[in-house]
Amino acid sequence: MITGVTQKGTGLIHGMLLIGAFAAILPSGAAAGAAGERLERHFAVQGRPVVVIQNVANGRIEVKSSKNSEVDVIASQPSNKIDFDMEQAGDRVDITASVVDASAQGVDLETSLQLTVPEETELQLKTETGLIYVEQVTGDMTLESVKGDVHLKEVSGYIIVHTTEGSLVCTQCAGKLDFKSVSGGAQVLQPALNNVSLFTTSGNILFDGDFVRTGLYTMKSGKGLVEVRFSGNDSFDLKAQTTLGTVDNQAAAYFKPDSHSSVKRLASKFTKGIVGTFGAGLAKVELSSYSGTIRILKRD
Amino acid sequence: MQCKDVEEVLEQEGLAPLPEAARAHLAGCRHCQGLLDDLETIVSAAHELPAEVEPPARVWVSLRNQLEAEGIIKEAVAAPAAERPSRWPGLAQFLRGRALATVTVGALIAAAAIVQIRYSGEGLAPGSADSIEPARQVVNDAERDLQNMHLAGTSPVDASLRQNLQQIDDFIADCERHLKEAPQDELAREYLYSAYQQKAELLAVMMDRGRSVN
Repeated sequence: MITGVTQKGTGLIHGMLLIGAFAAILPSGAAAGAAGERLERHFAVQGRPVVVIQNVANGRIEVKSSKNSEVDVIASQPSNKIDFDMEQAGDRVDITASVVDASAQGVDLETSLQLTVPEETELQLKTETGLIYVEQVTGDMTLESVKGDVHLKEVSGYIIVHTTEGSLVCTQCAGKLDFKSVSGGAQVLQPALNNVSLFTTSGNILFDGDFVRTGLYTMKSGKGLVEVRFSGNDSFDLKAQTTLGTVDNQAAAYFKPDSHSSVKRLASKFTKGIVGTFGAGLAKVELSSYSGTIRILKRD
Repeated sequence: MQCKDVEEVLEQEGLAPLPEAARAHLAGCRHCQGLLDDLETIVSAAHELPAEVEPPARVWVSLRNQLEAEGIIKEAVAAPAAERPSRWPGLAQFLRGRALATVTVGALIAAAAIVQIRYSGEGLAPGSADSIEPARQVVNDAERDLQNMHLAGTSPVDASLRQNLQQIDDFIADCERHLKEAPQDELAREYLYSAYQQKAELLAVMMDRGRSVN
């Protein structure tokens, strides 16, 4: 049974690959109707598994890791209006929650999925309104949500988070982070990320942590606040610019004029902002807004 | 001939063989070459999309048999030869809506990709005020199609999608107003590109969602 392959945009190619992968699916797949109860499944895996969850219900998805080589899934729901379909093909585990009763509303559509996966696992999680929570997992992950928030703690890899309204809180994340949202905000706390791209049209952005040397950091908000708190040990070139907003550089005294050609000037004469270097200027930090405030602070 | 003249020619005459003056301008103008490339990409992508076609007669026969088998209809209905049966207008409209949505989502993806390419390109030439026009056209057409699909779901997700679409529209209007006063403001233009890209992606999500629930 091919389920959960409805990705768009650049995901189309990926979707085709998924279909190819499913052609070799083993007969171990099991449709599971969890009628108002808790459903538990265990999938033995070898190496680094790929877990794909497509949750159309109002589901919370929680993923934690263990040292075991298996993917454990606990699905629970208060009604029988949701059907869970779980399949395994080699090291790939697919979980799809689908609505079986189109008239179901409210609490009938609430589900939760609790997963325990090996520490090194790739994740592709998609939900609409529920929280996505991932803790202590290493591996590339794509997390998509319309209205649900995404909370990540101690995860590392290439992390892609796309939401419409949901916000991201990324605590002690490492690797590469790509966040895009219409009105959701992003908080990146105590990171060890060397490549960060945050974009939101109206949400707020907070980056509180160190800039890895040679790292690239781009943070943009159309109408929201962009706030960066860096430490005295950091080393970075900074360009902060806004069209109609303001740049509130509370650490201006610590910056010297930029000495690198890579970050030389603002976009145009219409743009307000600052360009400068902190320390040796090893990382590159670009902040921008259309009408929001950009605030730059140095932690004590 | 200036950039705006070339754009006017393209707007009115499409990709038909261009006048000599336009070709001469194109030869030395990177911005207009980029615009022409975008248009060609859109046309090429559109050609690869599945055409919107009427379902063949066998579809109606099969549907009728299935509905009869399930006891949903009781009297035999003559299968149409070349004409769609008049008793199925709602269903036909539904299927047409799906075909339309498929085409439109494809076009939106192409539009978003083009906006992305331009946005992350080697830099935007000053005065490239209308270089977003082809993608904007696709996005606006899709928005009209979406309205015609009457996807008025009442779930919190539908409400959120509509609310965020409104936010993007407001933001686009803001950027465009500003760019009328300051057309050389490249940062504002970057935000406009991003907003159109987000709008295309959001419309694709809404259409796809509409197809899956309708």
